[in-house]
Amino acid sequence: MIAIKRSTHATVKERPVTTLDQKPAKAEGRKDPWGVLLEKVGKHQDRAAYQALFEHFAPQIKYYAISNGIANHAEELVQEVFISIWRRSCLYDWRKAAASTWIFTIARNQRIDMLRKLQRRNAEMAVETEDLWQIPGENEDEPVTSLHRLMSERRIRESLGQLPEEQITVIAKVYMEHKSHQMVADELGIPLGTVKSRVRLALNKLKVILQDQNV
Amino acid sequence: MTRHHPDSLTLMEYSAGNLSEPRALCIRLHLEQCPECRGRVDTLDSLGAVMMDQQPKVSVSDTSFEQLMARIDEAPEDTSPVAEAPKVSPLQKLLGQDINDLPWKRQLGDVSVLDITDKFPDQHDRVVLQKLVAGGKAPAHTHKGDETTVILQGAFSDQNGVFNQWDFVSLDEHDEHRPVAVGNEDCITLSVLSAPVKLTGTFTRLLNPFIR
Ligand SMILES: [Zn+2]
Repeated sequence: MIAIKRSTHATVKERPVTTLDQKPAKAEGRKDPWGVLLEKVGKHQDRAAYQALFEHFAPQIKYYAISNGIANHAEELVQEVFISIWRRSCLYDWRKAAASTWIFTIARNQRIDMLRKLQRRNAEMAVETEDLWQIPGENEDEPVTSLHRLMSERRIRESLGQLPEEQITVIAKVYMEHKSHQMVADELGIPLGTVKSRVRLALNKLKVILQDQNV
Repeated sequence: MTRHHPDSLTLMEYSAGNLSEPRALCIRLHLEQCPECRGRVDTLDSLGAVMMDQQPKVSVSDTSFEQLMARIDEAPEDTSPVAEAPKVSPLQKLLGQDINDLPWKRQLGDVSVLDITDKFPDQHDRVVLQKLVAGGKAPAHTHKGDETTVILQGAFSDQNGVFNQWDFVSLDEHDEHRPVAVGNEDCITLSVLSAPVKLTGTFTRLLNPFIR
């Protein structure tokens, strides 16, 4: 995984890419190194492992907050995400998700939750953020999909390197700036249909689109 | 079981956390029953992780980690490990009772509706439950774009096929259809429509997917 990450960086160097190049312990076979750290936190409340995760992911999450338009709450979001990681790491199962994917979903959920709280006019939220964005079926054993999940992040890194810049730009705006496809179209001054077809081409390459789907 | 899935672009907006709460609810209800789409969302979440990794990084404040550890040490009750949450359907949580027992309003012939927009106070979409009685027919009608519908109970059929529980319904605005509830249960759907809803004709509250 680490070796692949390097080559991906090499092919996409025209975009802003990670400057951090920390490589924790060598991957234990298939096991993702960040996942090993996450398990240590979950099983033993291992603070050194927790700090290593913090040093790697906190700067990503801070940028995520800023690009999402909540720069004033960026440090706060980092704190909330890491409290959530601390509390939920006992539920992490490396066979079901790469650690960075798992952490991304926590960052996303905390970002949604923070925006909901900032924008909320009413005291009560009828449905919690987690009720809407926590993927169900976390518990079940699906050996086939587990392998699929583990492989997908590696595959995405490889595939992303081959996508044209214009497709990656659109995806980055959707993920990092929480813009709808319509907002991306407006910002780039291109038709909505063009945005959608760029995303579809990318998702096709990433094998997200079902074959039987007539979209 | 479920055959009609949300489109990949919508799943991507879900994965990115960009959908309104009621639209996210529709996706979430479908995911609970659809391993295929769960797999797709997993892949999309990984895409999110890779995007986050490939963007610039911003250093956190020097004391950020210390603050974190202080919080963990000082408020252990707020920072203790969580237990796996019991599985309560978000729909059950939202409605608090069986969907069949809700105060349905008879609308027209075999169709009843219940507007639950007020359950989602801080957003602009209109959220409506609809019920077509078992064996009932909805009048022929067409649709407008930008609507999300998921079937919560029962099934209906129209010229596009049979739509079962947890299926997604996306109809083109040019499609005229005339759904019939099949099976022996009432067919109940959850629809999210972009506001403001255009009110036209005599029946000002005719809604998708059965009628508009
Ligand atoms: Zn599906």
